Amino acid sequence: MVSLTINGKVVRAEEGEYLLAVIRRMGIDVPALCDHAAVEPYGGCRLCMVEITKESWDGWKNYVTACLYPAEQDLIVNTHSEKVIELRTSLLDLFLARNPETPLIQKLAADHGLTKTSFEVVPEPNDCILCGICTRVCDEMGFAAISMVNRGHGREVAPPLNEAPPDCVGCLACAQACPTNYIKFEDIGTTRKIWGREFELLTCEKTGRPTITREFAAFLSKHRDIPEEYFKVNDEAHRDELASTMGRITRWSVQEETK
Amino acid sequence: MNSRFVVKPELCIGCRTCELACSFAHAKNGRPGRSRIFVLGGGFKDLFVPVTCLQCEEAACAKSCLVNAITRNPETGAMDLDHDKCVRCMACIAACPFGCSLFDEQQELVIKCDLCGGDPACAKFCPTKALEYKPVTVRALRPAI
Ligand code: SF4
Ligand code: SF4
Ligand code: SF4
Ligand code: SF4
Ligand code: FES
Repeated sequence: MVSLTINGKVVRAEEGEYLLAVIRRMGIDVPALCDHAAVEPYGGCRLCMVEITKESWDGWKNYVTACLYPAEQDLIVNTHSEKVIELRTSLLDLFLARNPETPLIQKLAADHGLTKTSFEVVPEPNDCILCGICTRVCDEMGFAAISMVNRGHGREVAPPLNEAPPDCVGCLACAQACPTNYIKFEDIGTTRKIWGREFELLTCEKTGRPTITREFAAFLSKHRDIPEEYFKVNDEAHRDELASTMGRITRWSVQEETK
Repeated sequence: MNSRFVVKPELCIGCRTCELACSFAHAKNGRPGRSRIFVLGGGFKDLFVPVTCLQCEEAACAKSCLVNAITRNPETGAMDLDHDKCVRCMACIAACPFGCSLFDEQQELVIKCDLCGGDPACAKFCPTKALEYKPVTVRALRPAI
């Protein structure tokens, strides 16, 4: 354990624990757009920037991303100093130039007194904030089907060569984790479309309801040792099976008792 | 964690108080959640069977979760699902052989029984003691096949 000061309060933290986690535990609201609990921190959006110093630093201050900076003994952190707010506001000014129509960005910018960017809006704005959560989640799951490509204005998330990604299993984790719902997908009946690919969803033999894609099920049985039949029955039908088993045991044991 | 659910379907009157208690125990922003316990017929005309997660020893839900969002809570013994980590891939829902990991359309969350942190609301509210949560010595009762 180490002890440090955040916004004037002394707090204890695990050694090496990232500042953002400690700040959040204190109930302090710091914007953190590229942070997701399922993946390692990335330091991409820089909005979680905080001011740090130490008694021994002779008044010298540094600005670091809280999601990547580990808690240290005697650290003095300010999450909302004048300079921090100024930095965050200019970052949001840039975000607004890239994502002028994105509610998440509009809201954060408005909280910092911005309604319009002072920069020129990019030619074809979209809702991707380049947080990299989708690509990191896909990597973490072991598929690595999509990645960040190009630099500057043309930077975007895309499958290799912009073609239907061969390693994608259609799990939808990227789309579900995207904070702005930028990644489009479609589920119609037992067909799923994402990233220009079409997948077939397995169907429950009893209810006719879709479960997960054939490819995802095959991956899970191969790497996680789960029988493939499990995926061919949906949750509702599985619960019915359990109820029926428990019912039969009940009938049997009540009978035995009254014998 | 030596406490277990003790379920006696022969005492269940099908009132669904357990389902209601579960919904309210898992309310978020004033909105009740989907119940994680189900009162089902099991194919019997005159029986009600309360069904919920068995907190399996070797849990398929946790095995199927590629981001390790489902882990054993050392205090309660429950397999707890971390909503911050969950990326809603639905693998656990498809993998659980008992259908006890499910999707809550209202809250847009994948959910499962968390034993209410060690004091299950469902069992507390069951009026007939068809559902109890109490310390037990496990003695297997094996039906003749
Ligand atoms: S749907 Fe495809 S691209 Fe998206 S996380 Fe799953 S495997 Fe990766
Ligand atoms: S598509 Fe969504 S998750 Fe991926 S980088 Fe863009 S905003 Fe982030
Ligand atoms: S959700 Fe299913 S697999 Fe997971 S512990 Fe409960 S009963 Fe077992
Ligand atoms: S839906 Fe969530 S908890 Fe379930 S396997 Fe996927 S990430 Fe894990
Ligand atoms: S959350 Fe820290 S840099 Fe984005």
